[in-house]
Amino acid sequence: MNTRKIIIDPITRVEGHGKVTIRLDEKGMVSNAFFHIVEFRGFEKFLQGHPYWEAPVLVQRLCGICPVSHHLAAAKAIDQLVGIDPENLSPTATKLRKLLHFAQVFQSHALHFFYLASPDLLFGIDAPAEKRNIVAVAAENRELAKKGILMRKFGQEMIKALAGKKIHGILAVPGGVHKTFTAEERAYFLDGMLIPNIDTMIAWSKEMVDFIKAYQLKNANWVDNFAAFPSNHLGLVHNETGAFELYDGRLRSVDFEGNELLNIEDVDYREHFKEAVEPWSFLKFPYMTKYGRENGWNRVGPLARLNTCAFMSMPLAEKERQIFKDYTQNKPNNMTMHTHWARLIELLYCAEAMKELLLDDSLMAHDLVRIGEPRQKGIGIIEAPRGTLIHEYHTDEKGLITKCNLIVSTTHNNEAMNRGVREVAKNVLNNKPEITEPMLNQIEIAIRAYDPCLSCATHALGEMPLIVQLEDCYGNLIDEKIK
Amino acid sequence: MKKLNNTLIIGIGNNTRQDDGLGWNFLELLEKEGYNTDNLVYKYQLMVEDSELISEFSPVIFIDACKTELKRGFSFEHIYPAEEVSFSTHSVPPNQILNLCKTIYGKTPNTYLLKIQGYNWNIEVGLSKQAKTNLKHAFLYFTKNFNEQLIQ
Repeated sequence: MNTRKIIIDPITRVEGHGKVTIRLDEKGMVSNAFFHIVEFRGFEKFLQGHPYWEAPVLVQRLCGICPVSHHLAAAKAIDQLVGIDPENLSPTATKLRKLLHFAQVFQSHALHFFYLASPDLLFGIDAPAEKRNIVAVAAENRELAKKGILMRKFGQEMIKALAGKKIHGILAVPGGVHKTFTAEERAYFLDGMLIPNIDTMIAWSKEMVDFIKAYQLKNANWVDNFAAFPSNHLGLVHNETGAFELYDGRLRSVDFEGNELLNIEDVDYREHFKEAVEPWSFLKFPYMTKYGRENGWNRVGPLARLNTCAFMSMPLAEKERQIFKDYTQNKPNNMTMHTHWARLIELLYCAEAMKELLLDDSLMAHDLVRIGEPRQKGIGIIEAPRGTLIHEYHTDEKGLITKCNLIVSTTHNNEAMNRGVREVAKNVLNNKPEITEPMLNQIEIAIRAYDPCLSCATHALGEMPLIVQLEDCYGNLIDEKIK
Repeated sequence: MKKLNNTLIIGIGNNTRQDDGLGWNFLELLEKEGYNTDNLVYKYQLMVEDSELISEFSPVIFIDACKTELKRGFSFEHIYPAEEVSFSTHSVPPNQILNLCKTIYGKTPNTYLLKIQGYNWNIEVGLSKQAKTNLKHAFLYFTKNFNEQLIQ
């Protein structure tokens, strides 16, 4: 049989370096499509031999967008190495870490919506390439651009106040945090004198949710169907109530109809997950052991989190979550492009949660570090902006790391991204042996919905472009586009 | 203390990647010379929000390591808002930041780019010998020609 192959490399507005290959059969129909990750970094290897307390500092170098998530996941694992489980951390340390985490998710979601996704949403998928970027968004909607910048700035300033630097700062230490919050730092985010305050952040976040709902109404046919497919969904939920959780809780998975597949203590993940490898990608494919490689994979991230939680504990976000759930009659939402809607509901949640913490006086207390009986294994799981993030460390008797396993959000979404690419490729490329700009963009949009961080996922090093290639059944290249 | 008033100097790079630290090393030399640190900004890469930062200053000077060969080991040029768009979250060029600043905030600060040639980019702290020489020449040129303008 004669097939042809299309390769997209690099993919733009995605964090990292990847490549899409689309293979056509002799009739010009898509026979298969692959989203390859072509970079390799090997962080898990070079952490070995380092003292455990260095891990929360070193792993931040995995990423310049979500270093806080890596810092905190590692910190949660390292807490266990000094004998402290999440419930034994001091309340102040827990709140400070949560505030740091909410600020991180807030700024990352703002970055994704304003800088990466908004050009597609505002100008449409068929818009010329020169228009699909933040500069064009800024030219046509200056106020939106200003708000995007100030929302991201708010989150980053919060990170700086807590961790000392906007990127690669340090708050967590084994068993707690190394600094408390001061009255001056708190006032900076509440009084609105130097930057727009937290109430403004809540109001702007609500505006963004309203924007996406209006967009959804106008574009329902496209948004509901583009790259949509049934899947399982995985996320942390509150230990007792099942509420939406970003920092600590149980791991819960539901299938595309809402049937519960998994509800486990996060530290037991090893017993329930495996990672498959494919020869064409450095990115692994995690799946739930019980359900196998074919049926046990999950989506993670904003859409999955809203599908797995029972409710959200912040009032405005919960109201929006209910509207979101009503859209699918309270069933899990499997519509990939609704991830943007879910992401903005989370943005609102984080703004409200930051306010609740800022008004809590115990944030300025001084019970910061606790130490228990040392152990030699620690597992930290957190919901990073892009989804469930797992760090696991083993140490020897001297406290040197002997083994490390990292499963990052984008890795969980690997199968989903590949299916998304396949869905779109079949729709836009059948019988069309050449790669056009709108085709390219649609494939990229399917990937971009997951906000993948390929450098995190492979722990990649170097320059960050992302390639589409069209191949025949013999593997001959017949078209290629590099953006 | 030499006060930089309305001058903003942004060093771009990463000092754990050998010569990629040239921009930061340049700022450290300015600090040693007694320039106030409030107006010296260390950046791994430029981001969209830096358009807001530079909108409050003029002149603005970006300092970055450079892989291409430069005649004197460095170059100093006036830059203007970009005509074409080039953007990723991992890198936004200085002229694109200027473009955004003009588009969003209606301001075009007087902006320069100081490029210093580097040679080695591996994971290691410390500049190569040739990069150190280039840094020294660039710094001498800069302080000789721009000192008075910067601290007015």
